Amino acid sequence: MNETRQQDQPDGKRHSPHRGARVLLAAGAAALALTAALATPLNPAPQQASAQDDGGKKVLTVAVSQSVDSLSPFLAQRLLTTSIHRMMYEFLTNYDPKDNHVIPGFATKWQASPDKLTWTYTIRSNSKWSDGVKATAKDAAFTFNKIMTDSAAATANGSFVTNFEKVTAPSDTKLVIKLKKPQATMTALDIPIVPEHIWKNVKDFSKFNNDKRFPVVGNGPFILTDYKTDQYVKLERNKDFWRKTGTPQFDEIVFKTYKDQDAAVAALRKGEVSFVAGSPALTPAQAASLKGVKNIKLNEGPGRRFYAIATNPGARTKDGTKFGDGNKALLDKRVRHALFEAVDTKTIVDKVFQGHAVQGEGYIPPRFSQYFWKPSASQKLSYDPQAAARLLDQAGYPLKNGKRVGKDGKPLNFRMLCHTTDPNDKAVGKYLKEWWGKLGIGLKLDCVNDVSVPWYRGQYDLAFDGWSVNPDPDFVLGIHTCAALPDKTGGESAATDNFICDKKYDDLYAKQLAEYDPAKRAGLVKQMESWLYDSGYMNIMAYPNAVEAYRTDQIKSIETMPTAAGNIYGQDGYWSWWSAVPASGSQGSGSGSSSGSSTGIVVGIVVAALVVIGGGAFVGVRRRRTADDRE
Amino acid sequence: MTTSETRKASGPGAPGSVVDARALARARRRASLARFWRSYRAHRGGLWGLGLLIVFAVVAVTAPLLAGADSQSVTDAEGGPLEGPSGRFPLGTDQFGRSVLALLVYGSRISLTVGLLAAFLCVAIGTVVGIVAGHFRGWYATVLMRITDWFLVMPTLVLAIALATVMSRSMWTVIIAIGVTTWPTTARLVRAQTLSVESRPYIERARALGGGHGHVMVRHVLPNVMPLVLAQTTMIISSAILTEATLAFLGLSDPTITSWGGMLQDAREAGAVSAGDWWYLAPPGIAIAAVALAFTLCGRAVESVLNPKLGVRS
Repeated sequence: MNETRQQDQPDGKRHSPHRGARVLLAAGAAALALTAALATPLNPAPQQASAQDDGGKKVLTVAVSQSVDSLSPFLAQRLLTTSIHRMMYEFLTNYDPKDNHVIPGFATKWQASPDKLTWTYTIRSNSKWSDGVKATAKDAAFTFNKIMTDSAAATANGSFVTNFEKVTAPSDTKLVIKLKKPQATMTALDIPIVPEHIWKNVKDFSKFNNDKRFPVVGNGPFILTDYKTDQYVKLERNKDFWRKTGTPQFDEIVFKTYKDQDAAVAALRKGEVSFVAGSPALTPAQAASLKGVKNIKLNEGPGRRFYAIATNPGARTKDGTKFGDGNKALLDKRVRHALFEAVDTKTIVDKVFQGHAVQGEGYIPPRFSQYFWKPSASQKLSYDPQAAARLLDQAGYPLKNGKRVGKDGKPLNFRMLCHTTDPNDKAVGKYLKEWWGKLGIGLKLDCVNDVSVPWYRGQYDLAFDGWSVNPDPDFVLGIHTCAALPDKTGGESAATDNFICDKKYDDLYAKQLAEYDPAKRAGLVKQMESWLYDSGYMNIMAYPNAVEAYRTDQIKSIETMPTAAGNIYGQDGYWSWWSAVPASGSQGSGSGSSSGSSTGIVVGIVVAALVVIGGGAFVGVRRRRTADDRE
Repeated sequence: MTTSETRKASGPGAPGSVVDARALARARRRASLARFWRSYRAHRGGLWGLGLLIVFAVVAVTAPLLAGADSQSVTDAEGGPLEGPSGRFPLGTDQFGRSVLALLVYGSRISLTVGLLAAFLCVAIGTVVGIVAGHFRGWYATVLMRITDWFLVMPTLVLAIALATVMSRSMWTVIIAIGVTTWPTTARLVRAQTLSVESRPYIERARALGGGHGHVMVRHVLPNVMPLVLAQTTMIISSAILTEATLAFLGLSDPTITSWGGMLQDAREAGAVSAGDWWYLAPPGIAIAAVALAFTLCGRAVESVLNPKLGVRS
């Protein structure tokens, strides 16, 4: 798979192999997290204050909900950890915060040979590892070679290098990559470069999580100094970082884990945290309640994600062996189209996202205008239940007693995988159930903690799907190619998203990857999106906005990406934390700014207490009576 | 074998006398019921509980009439998201714009059904295991009781969560999960009562007259442990309702059905806690507490009426 780090599912959606099959554990953990979360808003003692002078240190605390999967850049795939690696390590190239164009990072210059097969990067000579050793092209060569030769090290970023033939570092400032075929993503290689002198001693890359020795040696703008599982990750400013313009104003950035989003919002109101990153976004109710609150600023920007209904096209391996138990009815394109024609994306945006999203069109969100594609009026599958019913009639599923019945006499019923971690799945599921119910199609929501288990086994009919898209769309396109299919049956993890495999799509994919002209490449990408749209395998319902909030009495200003209207958490770079400016006199951790919520909670507690006390008194009185009766 | 035994025990009387005996038994049962009601009436808490239960039962049965048949529909929802209480929506609306009051009414169906069925399942397992373990002594009972002990020390909630996770999400899963995890206390209670019943002389007499295992267990032990089982059932129901609400709150129930615990879970996911939307949080919580309290009050009253150890004769 390509650009795995870009996948960074904000809500920890599928495609994180580390989540494994520990269903029970996950359930237990969820229960624990819940109890913890329940305890937090009711726990009056603030555990820590943030963005304050902590012995002269200015600390920015960010509330996050994701757990750390691994701090090793070779394994980490989640949004939290890939964002942290952006802060800890340098990448060959970086993206400009204003408009996402590629800018120098660890490499200052790059050039492709005329045959497009050899890329030469000039590595900067002013970068130093935090233990004092100079960072050179050899470190970069080591990192790439490791990923190319050790399959355990290829877990997260292996897809970038599959097309690499040879990587060498002729000198400290020169890196040469030879390709097998031209590759358009050579300036968007999102691989953290690690120090060779530390990582050459690692024996098993599949087990090394880089979380034993602190501070972790890095050369990024921040140095990771401490980490406690499901509690916090601490990063300190790297004073020796090469970029000297607009250096970070905060001394320390702390990512603090709040498993419950409401608890995180309460912490923000209390001033215990400076910033809340939604998971994947603050809910409409939370956003509404934070609007207009003193010292809190709500940031909303067009999101990087799409939110879709995936239909199982018949799971199979690379060699064509079919597996899984996807409903055969979905192999008919008319059925897939009918399903989506009965989905009113406007209602989903208005009701479920309450306007904090944009109606779905093509595969890539409009934020990436270069690649954004919209179906033409004739191609568009707009909301039309009657047309959907006609399509189903044509496909051989007439309506009998309110149910669509196939030729075999069986009613049409679908299962749909949904993430228990994402409330939107359940909410949208309720609408789908009613819309499809009116068509005569039954729907059963299978909400699980780890959808990747049934997903990789092909045991689903429909599924809620969503990916974060990067400035370079190669990764999210690559997950639908035949090459991404699994090698074996039986649920092994693979790069594929939805078992799609089509020759036309694959040809387009290969063409766009080899196309160095941006306009032509964008044209090819749009053709792929058009194919995906027509296939009915990926039906984009919406592009959810990024909705996040921070305290203005702790953070004076912070940069969004893109600057005009963008997100703060989960950027393609370290810009938000780099640019954050502490508010002067930020000691005043907000108090009394949470009237609305406290009232509710207090009312709830009082009522609950009354019930308990009332019940207790009742039973007590009765007890005494029986005691009297007993003589 | 059991039937012939039974016939022998009831005696080979003339047909007329059998009818008389039946009428007599009916009259005796009616009298004991009346006596039970008289002593139950003396417990004010029990009456309150009963009244509350009747209200909840009526609400649950007449939900479509009270709340409207389509009030659970999200596509036909009339209100805006998370509206506060108003004349139109006395308890406000949820995030889909549905009336919280209507959902509360529908939620009572699931909570009561799951509570009753799960308690029944739990008591059924517990009674069978308890009587069998009390009747047959020796290694047989030892094995049964060790299994019971094992279930007893298992944290109920964790076990229920594990079960609900591996099975598919549905109401029945929750019922089974509660049922199979809460029976050990009933089993121990019933076993103790069985032991005490079996040590009475008339059991020995029945045995001497040729009463087999089945006869003794069904005809003599079961009727004597029944009052205890009844009291236990009413107590278990309230904890089953609480467990159901907990599991639904943890997202382990079918997300498409409306239950009180599920409403709390939806409210939490919508961010109603930090937004301070109390009308969405408090009603289901109070409803859960009220039903659990009602069953507990009834259970205590029944217990004190039936359990001779409490000595309440009134």
